[in-house]
Formats: sequence, structure tokens, C-alpha cells
Amino acid sequence: MKISSNKPLPEKYAERYAELFKNEQPLFIVTGDLTLKGTYGESALCFTAESVYAFDDSYPEEYERVFYKDIKEAKVKRMYGNATFDAYMNDGSRKKLIRFTFAAANVADAGADFINGILAGDDSAELLDAVEGTFLKQRSFCPKCGRKLPSPDSECINCKGKGRMITKFAAYAAPFKKGLIISMLLSVFTTGMTLVPPYITGYMVDKVLPSREMQTLIKMILILLGVYILQYTVSAFRSYILRITGDRIIIGMKKDIYAKAQYLPMSFYDKTSTGSVISRVNSDTSVIQNFVLRITQDAVVQFFTLVGILVIMICLNWKLTLFSLVPIPFVVIIGRRFGKKIGPRYMRLWRRGSAINTLLTDTIPGIRVIKAFTNEKSAVDKYDAYNDEWLREDERVAKISGIFPAFMTFLVTCGSLIIWFSGGSYVISGAEGFSTGLLVSFVSYASMFYNPVNFFANFSDTYQNTLASAEKILDILDAEPEHDFGKGKIPDRIKGKIEFKNVNFSFDRSKKALSNINLTIEQGDIVGIVGTTGSGKSTLINLLMRYYDEYEGDIFIDGKNIKDIDIGYYRDQIGFVQQEPLMFRDTVFNNIAYGSSNPHVEQILAAADIANAHGFISRLPDGYDTLVGERGIGLSGGEKQRLSIARAVMKNPSILIFDEATAAVDSETEHLIQEAIERLIRGRTTLMIAHRLSTLRNANKIVVVDKGEIIECGTPEELMEKKGKYYKLIQIQSMGERLRREKEEENFE
Amino acid sequence: MITYIDGQEVRITENDGIFVDIEFFHSKEKFKGLEPRRLFPRSGMNKYIALLDEEGNQVAVIRNTENLLEESRNALTKALDEYYMIPKILRFVRMTEKFKIWMWTAETDRGIITFEIRNHIASIKPLYDGRVLIKDANDNRYEIPDYRKLDKKSRAMLMPKL
Repeated sequence: MKISSNKPLPEKYAERYAELFKNEQPLFIVTGDLTLKGTYGESALCFTAESVYAFDDSYPEEYERVFYKDIKEAKVKRMYGNATFDAYMNDGSRKKLIRFTFAAANVADAGADFINGILAGDDSAELLDAVEGTFLKQRSFCPKCGRKLPSPDSECINCKGKGRMITKFAAYAAPFKKGLIISMLLSVFTTGMTLVPPYITGYMVDKVLPSREMQTLIKMILILLGVYILQYTVSAFRSYILRITGDRIIIGMKKDIYAKAQYLPMSFYDKTSTGSVISRVNSDTSVIQNFVLRITQDAVVQFFTLVGILVIMICLNWKLTLFSLVPIPFVVIIGRRFGKKIGPRYMRLWRRGSAINTLLTDTIPGIRVIKAFTNEKSAVDKYDAYNDEWLREDERVAKISGIFPAFMTFLVTCGSLIIWFSGGSYVISGAEGFSTGLLVSFVSYASMFYNPVNFFANFSDTYQNTLASAEKILDILDAEPEHDFGKGKIPDRIKGKIEFKNVNFSFDRSKKALSNINLTIEQGDIVGIVGTTGSGKSTLINLLMRYYDEYEGDIFIDGKNIKDIDIGYYRDQIGFVQQEPLMFRDTVFNNIAYGSSNPHVEQILAAADIANAHGFISRLPDGYDTLVGERGIGLSGGEKQRLSIARAVMKNPSILIFDEATAAVDSETEHLIQEAIERLIRGRTTLMIAHRLSTLRNANKIVVVDKGEIIECGTPEELMEKKGKYYKLIQIQSMGERLRREKEEENFE
Repeated sequence: MITYIDGQEVRITENDGIFVDIEFFHSKEKFKGLEPRRLFPRSGMNKYIALLDEEGNQVAVIRNTENLLEESRNALTKALDEYYMIPKILRFVRMTEKFKIWMWTAETDRGIITFEIRNHIASIKPLYDGRVLIKDANDNRYEIPDYRKLDKKSRAMLMPKL
């Protein structure tokens, strides 16, 4: 039988393990990566049906066995950067069994839940299934790149092939290949045209001028004129096609990044600043755009120029050609060294630029707060400091990227001096096959030849800069999306029964936000979720909304796991009214209609009416056409809240969630909102987070959350009788409410 | 209101690992099994240490551990060292990248460790005093006390990521 384990049992305990488990097998193993003393090392916990064996070097016999019957409770104590598996014994003592980093925290949690489940008399097979589920989740990640796999042990799509970056960006160019091919052909043509003038010049020097034939001279000049007209006309047309094609490619990319950004999970935004995402959509795509234009316009031309000139030069004189190639190895070697040096610099420059963007996106929308705290100077100082930092980094980059091209140009110029010296010597000495015309043509070709060489030598600068941006863009394009919209199941309808089963969740592994949540909410229930700030109420809602899917345990709606339901459909069935509703810079009408497709005007009016918003909207000079400022500027908190309730009405949801909807309004507005809520929740399963317990008067069930756990659950009457936390909160609040009302009445008088 | 401990008005003794016991000399008040927590674990290691009871409620805040009696300071430091694990990176052994996931192997004051970095921008925070704070893919933390003092090879590996 295969024993589940997060990592193989450490080799050094193999002998002891074999000796201990001759006759029985452990059910599962949790392997730690620290010693009890806190240094990096190896440790393990082997769980059997009746005891746990802890392996660590500090134990006299390398291990210690603890029987479950002697344990009161098992706990994973999360500290800072490390955790311990603790057994609280019946005699009141605490045994620290093993120590580990957060890499093993989740499986250790599963181990603790297993022991506690056994102690509570739960079915051991079910408990083992839960443990197995945690191990399976660990294996659901690609061992190579760490991305989540479609199913456990399946092949990682991300790691299938190399050259991803090229493939990824080439895909954007593919639909426009016709334009690219046409422009490339035109490039070949114009390149060919550029090679003609030096040849004619040489011919004129050698043949036409010595023979003093005026007619031939005019003929040659007319040919040159024709060549130039053709060359520049075609070149202009080619530039136009390339510009249009390049723009289309980049627009496609921008659209994709924006669309991807919409579907990224909340956990991505928890770790990435919005400023940095905006910078990727705008600045980084521009860098790529420049690169695409440079590649398609310049690189193609330069490449064909290089090849064409080389062929002509060899045909004209192979010896001189060899002389002209002398500087090339130096150019290439220095070019590579430059690339290595400048690449990381560009990355750092990008970071500094991104920090400026982040600061802007933080402070400009928050200008009211800045003014309220008269913090303008500090904001300006910070912006200045960030810009100075960017400037310092840019100066370092500029220094390298300024010196390098000049040095390269100097090298290639030395090449033309070599040709003048060697070719000139041949002409002066009257060597066979060397004429002044040939030397003039050759010097012209050589100067043209060094241009593409110079171009490709400097190309690494642009390339490195682009690489830095491409990497940032791929960060978004390759990020694991929230869920594939439209791929889950769509049930006939959602009635509204909600079940949380053994749900555990942490935003990062250092602290558990929710522990062992088991809760059943029947269809049509009105549930009040109460608890102190930071107790985990909103997190509970975040999981139900599927903002975070990486939790342990299951959440069911009408008996179906919410992860199996199509996420778009699912969220459509939930009306979510937040504490600080977000309004978009649009009309009141469109803000209510947000998320509804082609709503009828009267539907909007009815929704506003239900939400007690119609009254104040109709009093606005522009009525429903009133333009709401950025983030709802121009509306009061209560007005915004009622608009967001109207928005929820438009959805006609099966489940309603209110996250402290009346927390930031006065009593009168609260009454209006409360009235609107009461109209809206009829017949719908409703979850209400509330600090003011008076707003939960219609609730038939109260859930009290504390430190991420449900500590009380029942009808308000039951909980009042219980005289627990809810009772205490009610006592405190009724006193507070009375004082508040008295104060308000006093002010009114 | 926060009760501050300035220094010599208390005796702190070891309890069990991360816990300490505390006794106020004047009021004779005694608290057992308090958990010391740094209020500024990044910027001020020895200043403003909160003492929390079993319920997580704050009993007092120590302004500066330097002002405590030596015995008390030792007991407190021991508990803090047990709780906070921020290995100090002494040098980098290697940094490899595959499919944009970085594996860093470093020698720390607690031994050699290999850890995973997913995103340089989110995981590495250089501070102005030369300190660099690192958070790996598993939310474990590391610190480079001063990146300018790393050996040449380690610096060459680290610099492009800063």
C-alpha cells in the first residue's frame, strides 16, 4: 500500500522506521524540514491508527511515540517563518513534536485535524480521506514549475515545450502574416535597390568620367534618379504597411492582457500592485511594439543589406572583403558582453518605473485623503524620491548604452580605414584588377556593410529591454486564471441551500484565516454573521463568492460543489452588496444597469424604487443621466449604497450577501437601506455581515465567528439563552445604540 | 490604554519555548504563559515587544529590551528567537531558473537551504540600508543583512534581481 507523504521519509531514519514498522504500517507521513532546535534538517511524523511517531535528532532514540489517548488536542502552532506540531497532553503539558517551515504547514494541519477527529470519535476512514485530499492537493501542482495542474498527476501544459516566449508572441503576429510577408518582400526589393547606386558610381568613375561621354553620364544619372524614386516610394509604402500591422499585433496583445487581468484571481492582486499591472498593459506593450517595428522594419532590411553587400563585395574583390571583416569578431564579442551587462540594468530600471506608476495609481485617486491630511508635500517628496531613484538607475543604463554604441562605431570606422589603406596601396602600386572606381565602390559598400553590423551589434540593447518587458507581460498572460469561464456545469437553477464542510483557509501559509468551518444554511434562511473585526466574516463570504478557490474542504450549493459550477453563472446567482460600493465613472442609469445586458428602462426604475434610490435620483438635476464621478464622487455613502442595492435587484439573485451594508451611514439612511434590504431579501437565502446587530432583526440564524472559527450558531433566541459571545455583543451594543440614539436626538433638538 | 514596560520594573522568566512569565515588582502582579511578539519584526528587532496572553490580548508592551534586567532580557530574547525564524543569508550557492521558477540555494546562519522564488518583484524587497528581505513561494522569510557585504559571486547572482 502506498503511504501518503509530502516528501519521502528522511534516509537517516530508514533503519529505525523499518524496525518500528515491522508489523504495522503508518497511515501517512508528514515530513518536516527543520530540527526542533530550529536549524535546517530533517524530521517526520508517522501517523498510525492509535499513535503518532515523531522523528527528530533531539530525541534520545531518534523518535518519540505519543498515543492519541494521552493527547487532549493536537495543534499546529504557526510562528514567524516556522511552525511546530504540538500535542497538548491530558496532564496539561505541551509536547513539541517536530518543527518545520511553512512548506509543510498544510499537511501538518491535516495531521492535527486527523488526531483531533480521532479524539472526537469521528470515523477514521473519513478522516483519512480528508488527509488524502490534502496530500492530493499538494500533488496537484507541477513539480517543475509549480503551476496548478488540471488534475492530480496530469501533464503540465506550461512545461510541455521550450521557447514559450517566442511561440507566445509569434501567435499574436500569425493573423497578420500576410502584411508581414508583403512588407518583407518589399524590404528585399528596396534593399536590392540600395545596392545599385555604389555599382553605378564605380562604373561612372572608371568608365564614364575618363571617356568624357556626356550622354552616358546623363543616362547614368537618370538611372540613379529612377532607382532612388522607386526605392523611396516602395520604402514609404512598406513603412505604412508595417506600421499598421505592428499596431494591430500590439492592440491584440493589449486586449489579451486586459482580458486576462479581468480573470485573474484575487490572490494575484493581493500580491501584485494595480500600478504594476497598468504599467504592463501600457508601457511594456509599447516596448514590444517598438521592438516589433524594429524587427520587421529595420532588422529585415539590415539583414538583406548585409547579405547582399557581402555577396557583391566578395564578387568585386575577396581580398578587400576579408580586410573589411577584421573588426567583426570584436564587434560580436563586445556586443555579447554588453548584452549581459545591460539586461539586469534594464530590469532594475523597469522596477523603478513600475514603482512610480504604483505611487501614481495610489495617490491620484486618493487625492481627497491626501488633502484631508495636508499631506501634499510628503506625497510630492515621495514622488520626487522615486523619480530620482529612477533617474539614478537610468543614468547608469545611459552610461553603458551611450559608451557602447560609440565604441562600436569607432571599431567599424577603423574597418573602413583598413580598406582605404589596403585598397589604396593596391591602386597606387597598380596591382592587377584594382581601379580607383573599384576602390570607391568598395568603400561605399563597406560603409553600407558596417551599418547592419552596427545595427545587429546594438540590437542586444533593444532586445534586452524588450526581454524585460516581455517577461513582465508573460507574468500576466501565463498566470493561472481564476477559472475557465463557461467550462463548469450550469445547474437548472440555484435554490440557495449552502453548506460549508471542513473548510480551512489561509491567505498565505503563515496564518490561518478560517479553521474547520462547518455550516449549513437552508434555502430562504436569513443568516446574520457576526464577530469582531478580523474574525474571518468577510473571508467566509470571499470563499462563498469564489474569490479564493484554494481552500481545504468543500462548499456546496444545493448539494453541488461550487467549484464544479460554472463560475460566471454561479456569481450571476449571487447579489453582493459591499460596505463601500464601487461606482464607475458613468451615468446613474448605467451604474445600476452594470452587469445586466440590455435592461429595460422601467426595470431600472423599478430596481431603483425597490432600493429606495428612485427618490433621490429623481431629485438630481440630471436624474438617471447624472454622471457619477470617479469612484462615486458626487454621491453620499448612503446614496451609493442604495445604487448598489438597485444593482443587486437587477440581478434577481438566488442568494444575497450584504457585507456591512449599513456600517457607514446615519440612522435615517440606515432605515432607508434597511427597508430596501427587507424588500429585496424576501424568499432569498441571505447572508448578512453586520457590526450593528440591530440590522439583523430579521435573521433566523446567527453565526458567530471568532479567530477564524465558528464559535456559536443557532437562532437568536437560542444564542441569547446560551449567554455566550452573541449575548455579550448584544448587551454591549444595546447600551451603545441607546447612547447613540440619545445623542442623535439631542443633536436634532 | 497600552501599558508600557520601560525596563527594570519587571522580572521576565522563561516558561515553555516561545512563552514567558512576567512579574511586576511594584504591583506584585504576575502573568504566566505570555507570548512576546515584535511589533516591528522588520524594522525594530529589540524595540516595542508586545506581550500577549492565551487569548491574544495584549498585557503590556516592552519599549526596549536593552533596558530590561539582564536575566529578563535573556529570557525574552530566547523566547523571541524561538518564535521568529528569519534565517540570515550568508552567501548564495546557486540560483537556477526553469520555466520562470527560480530555485535559490543559500547558506544561512541555520544551515543550507534551497527555496523557490516565483516572482522577483513580489518576493524580494530591497531596503535602503542595504538589507534585503526575501519571501519564498511557501511564505518563509529570509534576510540578507547587507547585500553590499556579500561575496562577489553571491552579489553577481543577486544584483540582477534587485
